[in-house]
Amino acid sequence: MRHWKVLAATAAAALLATACSSGGGSSGSTSGPVTLTIWENYGTEQNATALKNLAKAFEKLHKNVTVNVVSQPADNYFALLQAAAVSKTGPDLAVMWTGLFTLQYKEFLTNLKGKIPAADLARVNPNALKWTSDSFDAANGPYVIPLENQFYIGFYNKAAFAKAGVASVPTDWTQLFAACKKLKAAGYTPLTYGNGGQPLGAEFYPWYDLSYMMIGAHPVTSWQQLYSGQIPWTSAANEAQLATWSKLKSNGCTNSDVLTKTNNLGDFETGKAAMMVDGTWDTQKFTSALGSKVAAFVPPFSNSPIKGVVDFAGDGLSMTNYTQHSAQALQFLEFMTTSQAAKIINAAGLIPAINGTSTSNPVNQQMLNFVSQDHMTAFPMLDNVVQGNVVNTGSKELPSVLNGSISPKSALSSMQTTLGQLPSTQRGTSYP
Amino acid sequence: MSVSEATPGLARGTSPGRPARPRRSRLARRRRRAGILLSLPAVIVVVALLGIPIGQAVYYSMTNWNGLTAQWIGPSTYTAALSDPIFWRVIENNALLLLSIPFAIGIPLAIAALLNEHVRGWRFFRSVYFLPTAVSWVVIGMVAVQFFALNGLLNKMLAAVGLGSVQTNLLAGQRTALLALAITFIWSMLGTNTIIFLTGMATLDPTLLEAARVDGLKRRQIFFRVTLPLLKRFVQFSFVITVISAFSALFSLIFVMTNGGPGFGTTTLEFFVYQSAFSLGQFGTGALYGIILFVIMIVVGLVQLRLIRSEDGEGW
Repeated sequence: MRHWKVLAATAAAALLATACSSGGGSSGSTSGPVTLTIWENYGTEQNATALKNLAKAFEKLHKNVTVNVVSQPADNYFALLQAAAVSKTGPDLAVMWTGLFTLQYKEFLTNLKGKIPAADLARVNPNALKWTSDSFDAANGPYVIPLENQFYIGFYNKAAFAKAGVASVPTDWTQLFAACKKLKAAGYTPLTYGNGGQPLGAEFYPWYDLSYMMIGAHPVTSWQQLYSGQIPWTSAANEAQLATWSKLKSNGCTNSDVLTKTNNLGDFETGKAAMMVDGTWDTQKFTSALGSKVAAFVPPFSNSPIKGVVDFAGDGLSMTNYTQHSAQALQFLEFMTTSQAAKIINAAGLIPAINGTSTSNPVNQQMLNFVSQDHMTAFPMLDNVVQGNVVNTGSKELPSVLNGSISPKSALSSMQTTLGQLPSTQRGTSYP
Repeated sequence: MSVSEATPGLARGTSPGRPARPRRSRLARRRRRAGILLSLPAVIVVVALLGIPIGQAVYYSMTNWNGLTAQWIGPSTYTAALSDPIFWRVIENNALLLLSIPFAIGIPLAIAALLNEHVRGWRFFRSVYFLPTAVSWVVIGMVAVQFFALNGLLNKMLAAVGLGSVQTNLLAGQRTALLALAITFIWSMLGTNTIIFLTGMATLDPTLLEAARVDGLKRRQIFFRVTLPLLKRFVQFSFVITVISAFSALFSLIFVMTNGGPGFGTTTLEFFVYQSAFSLGQFGTGALYGIILFVIMIVVGLVQLRLIRSEDGEGW
């Protein structure tokens, strides 16, 4: 009898020990070698370089941690992430887009409030943290530590402007059309469109342009009404903006193959095109190709001089809620808030989202100056603050508007119909 | 006298109008049982791999499943989908693509007829026409994009023959992009259908064709009055696989050529399933469109079966 008791006690002790050790493992407090897996969808963008260098620097600081950065296909990245979350076989950390994208996938993300010291979070641009938190209120705690501040922005070739006799950068529609005329006469494609550099679809991504059209039509405080439907997509103001935008092609301001061109970035880099609307992720590419000839401008899609600029921390890293290495993953996120990380991000040609840091790229600095010196209003990326279904419909319909294949009214009606199909909980007067 | 006594061979309790079911012998019963037992594993596999997933898809189609969580909504998901104009646009695209079926069958039939005449170099041409079958849909799609592009081969050829004024970017318009897709689809089905018809023609009894010739029928008359009726089974088979391909095998072609655009101009139901589930993360909606596609395919299959069997006088 005593023999059985001893055996039972030993077994219980063994079970307890196993339970304790597995519990320790899951909290990630082991000091043994750990491999931290990060998924990203950056492709060949500068963000990929920044992330790889961040991983290397982190490995130097934490000798027991190996960071495995996995590049996933951009086209179905979120579906892969979601599928991996179902089977809990995904990464420890994952690149996540901010705004409604974050909230859509928050079920498998960790809210970082209380997980990352408040002092570390305080180093991050509060406007950036806001767009990764429930109800877009930073007090609710972020799900994402932003990698960088991004701008949807226009780039122009100063030499082309000078050669064509365009004395100043256009600030409204009228000036833009006038500049186009001069640039075309000088032999340039004034504004180039195409899907180059866009991993998201076969056509160009219209939400950079639409963001600026909506800046020209509505103040930032009204943008939530585009989400709720209080400002219908079919409103006269929106239709008028799209109608003017569609004239860019019919007036010869763009290349003729806006829907099918694939080397539009190349046209700008080689100086064939004078302007293009893109984002900060390509700044380094342009400055490398064009040197001091390239500069940033705010796409002037407005009847009066444009007063706003898309300045938004569009992406960052989030921790999955099923990670087995939460301690190391949190350490990595904390590292992203440091000045050392900011230097690495800046070196990759990006704008760090850390307070008090700067950018050494003059074109990026010019973008920051639009807000800090020219006092332009910072707007979010429109596609990050309206419903994914509406973004999807817009992405399909809007390029055809510029191409002249469908009317602005038709495209906006499709977007409005898509909005109307959503349950009322997804188009409330406040964000979820 | 009871009925059973009066009518030999009728089982007890059966009505006089119905013939009695012959009583199974012990051996027959054992064989039947063995048959059921032996086929059971296959039935279980089919139910597990097909029945259960289909049942799950039906369930999830009535939820807002996002891959992680699902809330029951009910059949109203179907009414919402059916009232969505984009859904009907997608169905319209599928219907328009069906218009390419006669060409996808007729052109290979004509080519097969020519090759069957054993014209000079027919072996070489047979290989050439079969080539599309050996090429992946992705490659076909990429070549097609280059062919239909504004600066592509098609427009250059038009310009070379003095038709520069009709040059157009087919992939840029919603309807024209669908036309480009249909042309590419017809081309990609060329090899498979040509080989099917050539095989069919090789099985025909040459004495029948000889007899027709002796009877004074001309080549064209022989083809339409003798060859084509005898090829009926092959045409039916080709029709079935072409329709199925049009509905459910164009994904990679659309993905590479147009990504469903411009607008929803080339989005088919199959592509819509992918976009809903994997681009938007709305797996419930994806399941819903998948079920609709499944039902459409069943209906199309049954109609085809009906057409084929009714001509044989067998009914369903």
